[in-house]
Amino acid sequence: MKNDKAKKSKLFDIKYLFFDFVRLTAAPGLLWFRPKKIYENEAAKKKIKGKAILIANHVGVVDPLYLMLVIWYRRHRFICKSELMESGAGKFWLSLFRCIPIDKDNASFSTVRRIVDALKDGELVSMFPEGQVHTQSDKPSAFKSGMILMSVQSGAPIIPVYVKPRKHFYNRITAVIGEPFSVTDMYGERPKFSEIDEAAKLLHEKEMKLMELSNKR
Amino acid sequence: MQMNRAGITEKLKEILVSASDDTETAEKCGEETKLQTELGLSSVDMLYMVIAIEETFDIRFDDVTVTSFETFGDVVTYIENKLK
Repeated sequence: MKNDKAKKSKLFDIKYLFFDFVRLTAAPGLLWFRPKKIYENEAAKKKIKGKAILIANHVGVVDPLYLMLVIWYRRHRFICKSELMESGAGKFWLSLFRCIPIDKDNASFSTVRRIVDALKDGELVSMFPEGQVHTQSDKPSAFKSGMILMSVQSGAPIIPVYVKPRKHFYNRITAVIGEPFSVTDMYGERPKFSEIDEAAKLLHEKEMKLMELSNKR
Repeated sequence: MQMNRAGITEKLKEILVSASDDTETAEKCGEETKLQTELGLSSVDMLYMVIAIEETFDIRFDDVTVTSFETFGDVVTYIENKLK
């Protein structure tokens, strides 16, 4: 994976105290719920180091937990819709997890800057580019293109993951991990508006391929 | 950076033309041209435009959202005020 300036995260970081506490206490559950992982190819098997954007299909509210299980060795910064962090328990818990709220209908540039800064700092930013939970079918709906902008600005690769919906709660989850996708390698550092949309469509097609792979196994 | 309104307008047109596939973008850009409906910019395009403006004019947009600017002229005015 092209990620030259991969920053090593500290073993202990006060910012991630709650996140690490949850990971440690939930570790025994990993034995039972450990995901079955399928890799798209050899390149997809490489461990994710340094800045990266992890994207996945969104079929339920527990999807962030699934992603934490799939890429267990990294701390995630999740992007969530701002309504969830406006008040009450949502604000409390999601702030502890260091989630970044985004207004889907009226995104501010300061939010984009915050996400790009997190990436430039070597963090793993995880998001669901469908923009909402999609339960109508296993097929992911069209992707929004905000992730492409963040990738271009930070130089972070995008790693697509498809999490196969489970039939029963006690089933292990199956996740297909795709090859990292570099927007700047494909379109340069200043892509055109149309290329931003094209890249989002390409990633959606890739996600569909990952879904097909999950159905073959 | 010192620049008058006409200079800012030209630079902004250059930014939009280089990011767009539409060769008529420059002609379409007028003070009252609506960014989303007439130039066809999506919310991501708007954010992308802001990034390019920041780099070109060496300014920083504060508390700007995708609905902060309705027309091409609004963006020019914002940049003009920032450069003062």
